Amino acid sequence: MKQRLRDWGTVLAAVALLAALALAAPGFAAPGNLLVIVKQASFLAILATGFTLALVAGELDLSVGQVATLASVVCAALVFAGIAWPLALLAGFLAALTCGLVSGLCVTRLAIPSLIATLAVGAIATGVAFLITGGIAYVGRFPPGLVQLGRGSLGPLPLPVLWLVLLLAAAAFLLKRTRTGAALLASGEAPDAARLAGIDVARMKLLGLLLAAACAGLCGLLLTAALASSSPTIANELLMRSIAAVLLGMTTIEPGRPNLAGTLVGVLVIQSLANGLTLLGLPYYVQDIALGLIMLASVGFSARLLQEAAFGGAR
Amino acid sequence: MRRLLVLVAAAAVWAGGNTPAMAVKLGIVAFQMSAETHARTANAAKAAAEDKGWEVTLLNSAGSVPDHAAQIENLVQKGVDAILLAMGKPLQAEAQLAAAKAKKIPVVTVMSGTSPHTLFDVTVNEFEVGAKIGVYLLGLLDYKGNILMSRYEGHGGTKIRGRVMDIILEENSGVKVLGSHAMARTQSWREDVKAGMEALVLRHAGKFQAVWASFDGQAFVIDDILQAQGLKKGQVYLTGVDGGQEAFRRIRDPSSLMTATVAIPFELMGEAAVDALDDVLAGTPKSDITPGPYLFMDAVLVDANNVPAEGEWPW
Repeated sequence: MKQRLRDWGTVLAAVALLAALALAAPGFAAPGNLLVIVKQASFLAILATGFTLALVAGELDLSVGQVATLASVVCAALVFAGIAWPLALLAGFLAALTCGLVSGLCVTRLAIPSLIATLAVGAIATGVAFLITGGIAYVGRFPPGLVQLGRGSLGPLPLPVLWLVLLLAAAAFLLKRTRTGAALLASGEAPDAARLAGIDVARMKLLGLLLAAACAGLCGLLLTAALASSSPTIANELLMRSIAAVLLGMTTIEPGRPNLAGTLVGVLVIQSLANGLTLLGLPYYVQDIALGLIMLASVGFSARLLQEAAFGGAR
Repeated sequence: MRRLLVLVAAAAVWAGGNTPAMAVKLGIVAFQMSAETHARTANAAKAAAEDKGWEVTLLNSAGSVPDHAAQIENLVQKGVDAILLAMGKPLQAEAQLAAAKAKKIPVVTVMSGTSPHTLFDVTVNEFEVGAKIGVYLLGLLDYKGNILMSRYEGHGGTKIRGRVMDIILEENSGVKVLGSHAMARTQSWREDVKAGMEALVLRHAGKFQAVWASFDGQAFVIDDILQAQGLKKGQVYLTGVDGGQEAFRRIRDPSSLMTATVAIPFELMGEAAVDALDDVLAGTPKSDITPGPYLFMDAVLVDANNVPAEGEWPW
């Protein structure tokens, strides 16, 4: 019972929070509003999924926000240059993958810690985004086909939610049903043992960072479509919330480990909180304080679990 | 963690039960509350609305376009009676503003540009502002000499001021631009301006008689650079646009090189937007408030002759 509570405690707390918001905030539990929350959460969830996959491989990718921005800017610049939008999308995605490849090679070939390598790659991505845009946003003139990818819907389901579901299904399949996924997990949790078991750990870490960049690229491109605009800082702000969501996720379902379901719970808590507190009419600084407190609590909880795992609860 | 969430939920329930019944619900979204001009506008609008007994939800997009769009969407979900955007991004949030319009929620913006989904933009005529400060500066130089320029093309208003200055310089060929720096970054803009303008000031030391800045924040950074070079008031003229208390203090300060600014009445604009929404909600046709997409306010040129005392305003 205690173990189960430990595993699912955050989920229960999230449910309690949602129930409280549903009671207190008129309209919070309306299906339309819940759909809005899920739609808004999709972009952050896609980015946080990538962050989780890198963390599963034992690497920290602090460039995901800036890589998402670069993908967005490359796509928008090409659209504005008259290139067909599917090609522009592809180019934006390739730009993101290039960032992931550079980070991965820095980590695996040059033995640069991922914290530093991804910070550097993020800075380069920001520089290139400013180089392309000159600091000016691309607004309007986006083809309807592209905009539809971010604003359209399939029946009542907004398309960003559909992309998220597909991504999560693919990521879950990779981690739970494939040898590559198992190797990725092993490389992150016990790299020495994985190496002894014949797993190419460096390759797995490179894969983790590539997957993070791919998710970042997808997030940036969908943001471009949804907002019909791009700017050299469009997704930068999402990094901190992505970290918060992943840390919050590490407190639940598989406590102490980065896990996709936990990340999704984290994202939904963050997005529900922003929506619910707005419906309650609370000002922006209350939202910032609430998010900060949740981050502190989740980091504290995760740190305690990690310590318990490492030292058997001894202090 | 669970205790924290219970506390948040309890606060939410408390807040939900403490909103005045039947009050007009106004949502205010400021794009970047850390920018003085955004905060002045939003805070004044909030105060004006609360004076009318309205229930105000004040949100800060913190410079993030995705957050900006999500916050407008959340306000629509909340079912506010009206929305006010302070220095908002109506083009990027087009889908969300269209949703507001579909729900017959009037949206008035302040210095945000226009949109088919908003009623009008409370603003100053930036062409007039640019002309005021540009012609004033050339007058100080007796229409001859050299200047440096600090531009910002990423905002509609500052861009127009720069273009107007270009035309003034074209028509008055006795004044030459020795160097120009275009600020690109929005989040670390002070460092950007400092690096760019310091290089220009050092390169052209002793050869320029004035510096034109597209807004006061830039002028403050440049003022500090000029003072560090040992220059005294009157040796180099320095102008900006915006006109807050810091600009007035520098104009009064004998050690500062700040010469003049055009003071934009941000507080009055916030109040005017609230008054206009009050009229619209009372049934006044939009065309009776202003015929076009703009509601223009007057900006005042402030120099040593009319600079207000500490805490005072020029209107």
